[in-house]
Amino acid sequence: MTDDVKLAWLFTRGSERREWWRFGLTAVGAFCAAGFAAAAAALASLRGGVYRIPYAEGLFDRPGERAGVVLALLLLLIPTLGFLGQCARIGAVHRDRRMAGLRLAGASPLRVRRIAALETGLACLAGAVPAALVVGAAVLGVGAPPALLWAAVASAVLLVPVAGALVSVVALRRVVASPLGGVRRERRTAGRGTALTGVAVVGGAILLGILGVAYAGRLGLDAPLVLFVAFLLVGLGAVWVSGSFARLTGRRLAGRAENPAVLIAAERLRDDPWAAARTHAAVLLLTVVATGYTGVRQALMDDLLAAGSYPPESLDFYVTGLDLTAAAVGIGLLITLAAVAVGAAEGIAARRQGLAGQVAAGVPRRVLSRALLLETALPLAPAVALAAVGGLAIGTFYATAVGGGLTLPWTALPVPFAVYGTCLLAAATAMPLLRRTVRPTELRHD
Amino acid sequence: MSATTEPLLAARDLVKAHGRTDALRGASAELHAGEVLAVTGPSGSGKSTLLHCMAGILRPDGGSVHYEGLRLDTCTEDRLSALRRTDFGVVFQFGQLIPELTLTDNVALPLMLAGTSRREARARAGEWLGRFGVGDRADARPGELSGGQAQRGALARALVTGPRVVFADEPTGALDSLAGEQVMTELVSAARASGAAVLLVTHDARVAAYADREIRLADGRAAVTEGAV
Ligand SMILES: Nc1ncnc2c1ncn2[C@@H]1O[C@H](COP(=O)(O)OP(=O)(O)O)[C@@H](O)[C@H]1O
Ligand SMILES: [Mg+2]
Repeated sequence: MTDDVKLAWLFTRGSERREWWRFGLTAVGAFCAAGFAAAAAALASLRGGVYRIPYAEGLFDRPGERAGVVLALLLLLIPTLGFLGQCARIGAVHRDRRMAGLRLAGASPLRVRRIAALETGLACLAGAVPAALVVGAAVLGVGAPPALLWAAVASAVLLVPVAGALVSVVALRRVVASPLGGVRRERRTAGRGTALTGVAVVGGAILLGILGVAYAGRLGLDAPLVLFVAFLLVGLGAVWVSGSFARLTGRRLAGRAENPAVLIAAERLRDDPWAAARTHAAVLLLTVVATGYTGVRQALMDDLLAAGSYPPESLDFYVTGLDLTAAAVGIGLLITLAAVAVGAAEGIAARRQGLAGQVAAGVPRRVLSRALLLETALPLAPAVALAAVGGLAIGTFYATAVGGGLTLPWTALPVPFAVYGTCLLAAATAMPLLRRTVRPTELRHD
Repeated sequence: MSATTEPLLAARDLVKAHGRTDALRGASAELHAGEVLAVTGPSGSGKSTLLHCMAGILRPDGGSVHYEGLRLDTCTEDRLSALRRTDFGVVFQFGQLIPELTLTDNVALPLMLAGTSRREARARAGEWLGRFGVGDRADARPGELSGGQAQRGALARALVTGPRVVFADEPTGALDSLAGEQVMTELVSAARASGAAVLLVTHDARVAAYADREIRLADGRAAVTEGAV
C-alpha cells in the first residue's frame, strides 16, 4: 500500500503541467463539495431546536429556515459534483495511457485501480481538509457545539475523497480490462434504449421525490434529505439523458453534415457522448431550477404585492428569502459555467497533438474552434429546451395554483436562453487555448 | 532535374531557434517542380524544422522561403493556412488523421474545406483510397487500422487536393520495413503521376534512395548536396 502511494505520488510529480491542473482543480472542486456538505451536515445536526447563530441575520436560528438552507446547500452540491467529475477528467487520456502502460509492465488490475483511486482520493483530500477547517472555525465562532455536529461534519468531509476514489475506479474500468485499453480506443457500441432508460430514471426520481416529501414526516425522514436524494437521482438521470442526446445529435448530423466543423463535432459526439455529459447534466438541472425559480418568484411577488395584507417586515423577510435563493442559483450557475469551461479546455488539451496536425495540414483554426464550440452547443440545445419546458411547467403550475386561473410566468422565458448563452460563452473562454497550445512543436515525435 | 530553371520552392539561409537550441543555422534548400528531394541527417540535425519552415508551418527567425514568387516567411497566417490546404500536402510519421472521422471523411475533409459537396468529396476520397489499396477500409476509423493502412490514408489525404508539393516527415517512421517500402513506392509513384514535388525528410538511407536528389543536414546546415541517384 505504501508502495502504491509512492507510485501515485511519483506519477503525479513527474507528469506534465496538465496533471497539476487536474490535481489543483480537483482539490478546488473537493473544497467546495466538502464545504457545502459539511455546512449542510452541521446545520442538519441541530435538528429542531431554536438557537442564536450570529450569521446571515438570523437565517440559521429557526428549524424551518434552516431546512431551506440545508436543501439549498445540498442542491449546490450537485453542480459541484459535476464540476469535480469534469476536473477529474483533465489529462485523463494521458493518465489512461500511463495506467495501461503500468498494466503492460505487469501490474495487476487491482493495483492499477488502487493507484488511480489513491491519486484522485489524495487530490480530493487536499481540498476537503481546508474545507473542514473553514467550517470548523465557523462553528467554533458560535460556541461549543454538540458532539453530533462534529461527527456530522467529519463524515461529510471524509465522504468526498472516498466518493472521488470510487468514481475514478469506475472511470478506469476499461483501461484495467485490457493493457491496450487506454492506448487504442475501440469504438463502443452503446445499447439501444438508453435515452428511454434515462428519462425513466428521471421520472422515477421525480415521483420518488414527490412521494418522499409528502410522506417524509410519517416515515421520520428529513424532507431536505429526501429532496436531495431525489435531485441527485434526477441529476444522474440527466447525465444519461444528455449523453444520449449527444450521441443522437452526433449520429443524426454525422451522416449528412456538409460543413467540416459540424462533421468533426458530430463524429466526436458520436464517438464519446459522455465526455461532457456530467457538465451538461448540471446545466440541465440548473435550467430546470432557474426557470422554475423565476416563475415561482414572479407568482409569489405578484401575490405578496397584490394581497397588500402583509406587514412590511414580513414582506422583507420573504424578499430576503427569495434573494438568498437567487444567490444560491447564481452560485450554482457559476460552478456549472466553470465546469463547462474546464470541459472545453480539456477537450483541447487532450487532443492538442491531433489538432496541431490538422492546423499543419491547413485546416483553419476557425474551423477547429467552431467544431469545438459546436461540441458544446449541439447536444446542449435540445437538453436545455427540454429542461426549460420542465422549469416553465413548474412555474406555471405554481402560478396557476397561487393566482387561480391559468397564469404564464413570462419572466421565466428568457432564463433558458440566458443559461444557454452563458454556457457557450464559458466554452468560448477556452478557445484562446487552441491558439496557445496547438503549435507545430506538438508535431514532434522523436 | 535541371538546376537552371527557377525552383518551385526555395529556402535561403534559414535560421531558427527553439528556445535556446539552434535548430537551423543558415540552411538552404531548393525544390524543383515534380522532383523528389530527400533531406537526410542524424536525429536532431534540424530536418523537421527545415520542413516546417518550408511548408509555412513554422516562421523562421532569419532567411527567406520563396514559393512561386510568394514570400512564405512574411505571409499572413490565413494565407499560409490556405496555401497548405490547396497547394501543399503533408504526411507525418503518424497522427494527421482525425481519430473520430472515418477514413473516407478524413480524406474528404480537405475537399470539403475547399467547398466541395460532401457527396462529391467522399466519392473522390474513395477513388484515392482505392488507388492506395485501402478502399475496403473506407468506413474504418484510424484507431481500427494498421500503421501501414493509416499511412496510406494519410497519403490519400495529402494528395486528394492535387497539391504541387507534398511534405513528408519520416512518413515510414512508425512502420516495419516491408510496409515502409510499400508506402514509399506508392508515395513516389502517386506524386510522379500527379506531377507533385516531394520534400522527403528521413534519417533512413533506404528511404532516401527513393529520391531524385538528396541534401544532408548537419548541425542545422545543409552540408552535402548529392546529384541524381
Ligand atoms: N519544440 C522544440 N523545443 C525545443 N527544442 C526543439 C523543439 N523542436 C526541435 N528542437 C530541437 O531542435 C533541434 C532540431 O530538431 P528537429 O528539427 O526536430 O531535428 P530532426 O527532425 O532532424 O531530428 C534538436 O536539437 C531538437 O531537440
Ligand atoms: Mg524530425
